[in-house]
Amino acid sequence: MQNIQIMPQPISSISKRSSKKRKYINQLMLLLTGIMVILALIPLIWIVGYVFIKGSQSINFDFFTKLPAMLGESGGGILHAIQGTIILTIIAAIIAIPIGILVALYVLRHANTVIGIIVRFSTDVLSGIPSIVVGIFCYALIVKNQGHFSALAGGIALAILMLPIIIRTTEEMVKLVPNDLREASLALGAPEWKTALTVILPAAVSGIVTGLTLGIARASGETAPLLFTALGNENFDFAQIVQNGIAQKQNIFIIIGRIINSPVDSLPLTLYKYTSLPYPERIQQAWGIALVLLSLILFLNISTKVFILMREKKMRGK
Amino acid sequence: MFKKLLNVVLVVLAGGLILSACQPVATPAPVAATQALKIEPTLAPGSVQLVAQGATFPLPVYDVWTKSYQFVDPAVNLTYAGTGSGAGKKAIVDGTVDFAGSDSVLKDEYKTVPDLQMLPTLAGAVVPIFNLQSTEKDANGNAVAITALVLDRQTLADIYQAKITKWNDPSITKLNPTLVGKLSDATITVVHRADSSGTTEIFTKALASFSADWLAKVGAGASTVEWPVDKNGNGIGGKGNPGVAVAVQNTTNSIGYVELAYAISNKIPFAKLINKAGKAVTADADSLASAMGDFANAFDDRLNATIVDGSGAGSWPISGYTYLIVRTQSMKDCVKAQKVVEYIKWTLTDTRAGKIASDLGYSLLPQAVLDKVMGKLNAITCNGAVVSK
Amino acid sequence: MFTPQKGLDRWISKLTQHGDRPWNYLLLFISSLIILLIISICFLLWRDSALARTELGWNFLSPTLDANWNPQNGNMQAWPFIYGTLITALIAFIIAFPISIGISIFLAEISPDWLRHPLSWMIELLAAIPSVVYGIWGIFVFLPQVVTPIGNFLAGTLGKIPILQSLFIGPIPESGLSRLAAGLILAIMIIPTIAAVSRDVFLAIPKAQREASFALGATQWETIWKVLIPYGSSGILGASILGLGRALGETMAVTMVIGNSLEGSASLLRPGYSMASLIANQFQDTVSTLHSDALIEIALILFLVTLLLNLIARLLVWQTSRKFLKG
Repeated sequence: MQNIQIMPQPISSISKRSSKKRKYINQLMLLLTGIMVILALIPLIWIVGYVFIKGSQSINFDFFTKLPAMLGESGGGILHAIQGTIILTIIAAIIAIPIGILVALYVLRHANTVIGIIVRFSTDVLSGIPSIVVGIFCYALIVKNQGHFSALAGGIALAILMLPIIIRTTEEMVKLVPNDLREASLALGAPEWKTALTVILPAAVSGIVTGLTLGIARASGETAPLLFTALGNENFDFAQIVQNGIAQKQNIFIIIGRIINSPVDSLPLTLYKYTSLPYPERIQQAWGIALVLLSLILFLNISTKVFILMREKKMRGK
Repeated sequence: MFKKLLNVVLVVLAGGLILSACQPVATPAPVAATQALKIEPTLAPGSVQLVAQGATFPLPVYDVWTKSYQFVDPAVNLTYAGTGSGAGKKAIVDGTVDFAGSDSVLKDEYKTVPDLQMLPTLAGAVVPIFNLQSTEKDANGNAVAITALVLDRQTLADIYQAKITKWNDPSITKLNPTLVGKLSDATITVVHRADSSGTTEIFTKALASFSADWLAKVGAGASTVEWPVDKNGNGIGGKGNPGVAVAVQNTTNSIGYVELAYAISNKIPFAKLINKAGKAVTADADSLASAMGDFANAFDDRLNATIVDGSGAGSWPISGYTYLIVRTQSMKDCVKAQKVVEYIKWTLTDTRAGKIASDLGYSLLPQAVLDKVMGKLNAITCNGAVVSK
Repeated sequence: MFTPQKGLDRWISKLTQHGDRPWNYLLLFISSLIILLIISICFLLWRDSALARTELGWNFLSPTLDANWNPQNGNMQAWPFIYGTLITALIAFIIAFPISIGISIFLAEISPDWLRHPLSWMIELLAAIPSVVYGIWGIFVFLPQVVTPIGNFLAGTLGKIPILQSLFIGPIPESGLSRLAAGLILAIMIIPTIAAVSRDVFLAIPKAQREASFALGATQWETIWKVLIPYGSSGILGASILGLGRALGETMAVTMVIGNSLEGSASLLRPGYSMASLIANQFQDTVSTLHSDALIEIALILFLVTLLLNLIARLLVWQTSRKFLKG
């Protein structure tokens, strides 16, 4: 958008003054909008800067590899939170990605049917649900019936929060794929499912991956639904469970079952809990967790941007 | 070709993942009621996951116990979340934990789950912590912190009832002649629990015993109360014992109540109290033992006892027992049931476990009570068979 | 036509010989799961709040000056929490709206092309920061350094004016925990939402509008103020409602800075509760079925309100884009 400014030519001295006034107001207002941008960037830089400076004091090898020390003692780490976040994200992704992509494909094909409209409407509803309501839902449906807090319940709650993002971005990206591609594939005799999976999705993959990354970024930062589903578990060590399982010669399904059925912590959940403790070691670790979380989110955001830019360069290069 | 194979493998894996989530841990077949349950003598390490949550009153001890139990019995992976007595009670009633911690006694919960049993594990002291700055300044012009305070029972109740609102109130200065002129006229910020709390129940039972006015206007001891200070705008709610400790640490001219261990480990000063016998006592092992002795026969058939406001000369007025709540008949997983019983027995009988507790300022159960608890533990059944060997 | 001969190929083509029907059924089945999910959430919220709805009735929700929250004896009114949610969202909106519009104008109209992308991305990064990080930064940095001084200032000035006294009476707690703190942090959190959507609205306005305005001799600001903003007003309104919806539903950052106090004051400078933070704090230790049903009824209200706002916002944004296509 070019800065087109066509100034009126004043004839009399009165209109000269009023045009000066209008010029002045114009400059002032445009400057004001610039100030607004700076105003919004101040908290961003403040938060990121403070978290990095304060949090870096916690970063050491133990931080990433050890379970928490006893209350009031220093040392120990956040291994349980890191593993919990990974497990919850994997469970959420396994559930949300296939469902999200399939729903997006359905909505695109049947956009104008009754069910298509209802599904789109439901997706909009899902995107607006406060995360704590999802937590209550999963507690009542899964935790109470299973009889224990679990990573599975937490993962399902996160999947519900990820779904609208995945559905919406997949829909947008697949819409951009030219219809000719689909018609050509069908003309060659490929069934719908093959067309969708091997022709259309690969063509939209960069956008879909962006949506997935954004969904994962959101899921890994959520706390409220985990309060009532995953509970938190300071004694959780994934490696130990796997080791014990192998020693016992349990088959892999039982080991996986044990992992997803135990309560787990996650980075934001642990951060929330540590913030309200009076032990300064825990508070310092909380800043470290904030650093890890921010780095993760920044990494995911930056990599999607880089990915998109590289993709665009490749397209332009052709 | 390879892609097709990959698809098939992925489908099978996905199906397996879903199925494995539904697989319960193997339990032995039910045995006749008179026989003890036969469990594999050597369970693989970490194969039994026990989850517990509840009171923050004993959390400093339970945290150490649960994290070191894996060295005692490697088969058990145990976690205890300090969510408050109210959350613990709700969790054991909902059946979402294997056992719960609570200092708040069960009442209506027995109607929903009749086989719940409260088992006392430790006794502890609730202390009034404070954060006070004197009016005198040190060399650098900073206010000097006051580190010693004496309160009596009526004064403490009046502070919490918002009848005493300023630190330089005559009732406080009368008890602290060395602080005359040093207490500012700042308003007292009163910190209490925001969540449903057993510590609150012990504290308010004590206040109800200290002050007839408290009993009349606010009520008997309970895990949640409508705090009079909230109406005045001088109350702060903290979540859990740790939350109250943090609130007092961060608010000048405040007072709060926490279990003794939190005050000691965070070096927060707490007030001495003048007990029923008229003596100024501090909270320590002796005053706690004296309080327990005052109510030696107070345990009812639910194994609950209230030990506040004892009449002994050296008794700490705000003492209480903390309990673990277990289901005595309706535990579904019998391997877990056995491990729960073994764990609780270990905490009560092992000398190292006991030392951990007493080092942190808690008191162990008297022998008579211990015997009763062991009796209850030995009577726990799963699927009709007695669990302990 | 390719006729498969060997084992696996033959088996798969036999499986898939029914044409597109299994695939379409699969898509339909999965999509109906979404509908089922929404219905089950509504059903569960409705069923599990039954006791509260029947026993507490409309009195539960009505604005009273003397509201109680006493789960022990069943005397519960939700008004303080509804008030807390509304007032913090309102403060957030009043502060965020002008800033967001300013940002969107800058990004859409004034910024040079090379600056637009990076700046937009940085603004959107504000939305990506997890709310617990806002919470911890709030508690230890923003509240003591910014909110408490502002609170003291407001208590000293606006708090002395009789009409405004109920809103601004202090003193703000030392720690800064207050509705004001929650409102300010919410403002920072919803700026990216409103700004991003409004920027897209401005970018979508047809060039002809701007060119016509310039041709008539208007300055750039006059064009923005008198032509573009009115033209995109329904889209901007939609963006605002989206931001408002986010402010109403935000849980963790609010819980960590609002103070969680049942104190009866209406003042911005005092700690309070919001609906979401009440549920987060009390859901795990409810003392009775009535208590947990009351909390779920509050969750139901929150769900319905955010649902309504979300739908209105989407409708407005959608309507705007149709209008722009027509020119």
